[in-house]
Amino acid sequence: MFEIDFNDSGNVAMSGRLDAAQAATAQSFLDRIEGNCAIDMAGLDYISSAGLGVLLRMHKRMMGGGSGLELVNVNSHINDIFSYSGFDKLFKIRVK
Amino acid sequence: MMKNTYARTLDELARIVADTEGFFAQHNIDESLRMKVDLSLEELFVNMITYNTETDHEVMVEMAPIDGGIAVSLTDHGVDRFDPTLGGEVDINAPLDEREPGGLGLYLVLKMADSIHYEYHNRVSKITFTNRTDVGESEQHV
Repeated sequence: MFEIDFNDSGNVAMSGRLDAAQAATAQSFLDRIEGNCAIDMAGLDYISSAGLGVLLRMHKRMMGGGSGLELVNVNSHINDIFSYSGFDKLFKIRVK
Repeated sequence: MMKNTYARTLDELARIVADTEGFFAQHNIDESLRMKVDLSLEELFVNMITYNTETDHEVMVEMAPIDGGIAVSLTDHGVDRFDPTLGGEVDINAPLDEREPGGLGLYLVLKMADSIHYEYHNRVSKITFTNRTDVGESEQHV
């Protein structure tokens, strides 16, 4: 189960499991966003390399346009994946 | 011991996760291992169905409880040799403009698994990995 939508703060909120089967859903949602963006990951339980690819693709697109992507409320397990992947050096990350 | 087969489609990931959850509960395997096991299972399964296009056999997944953890095997029939333990090099220190989506899957498997072993006989690939609660990150090996 994976869900992506805007929350009350106007940020993107992800929840559930962002795996290879859900990556296309996340990508098509994020492709519509322009300008600075924060993704609230408070409800995200799991991410695989397919999900990391979605985030990297969006971040590169936004940085190319002079804006950026911030990842907030990241749980410790997912933060470990970000560290293993070197994403902690590429993204602004705020841990839950 | 559990042995299941899965069709070569991403839709099967949900069933793999459900079966893994059930196996963990049935054998009282520490839930702290779930993320690592789920990740390695997904990455190896997706790698097989994406690149082993020369076969239409279902992928077999076996799980067995071991002392302090779990052993998981994925077997693919009718395929060319591909040893995932030999790859997975990613420059995680590269700047953003040099990073490209893709290539992280096997790298993460090698990071997450406490051990990983590859066998290839008669066009059958079998990958076995283990995760245990009593193995620290510094003790992990390939």
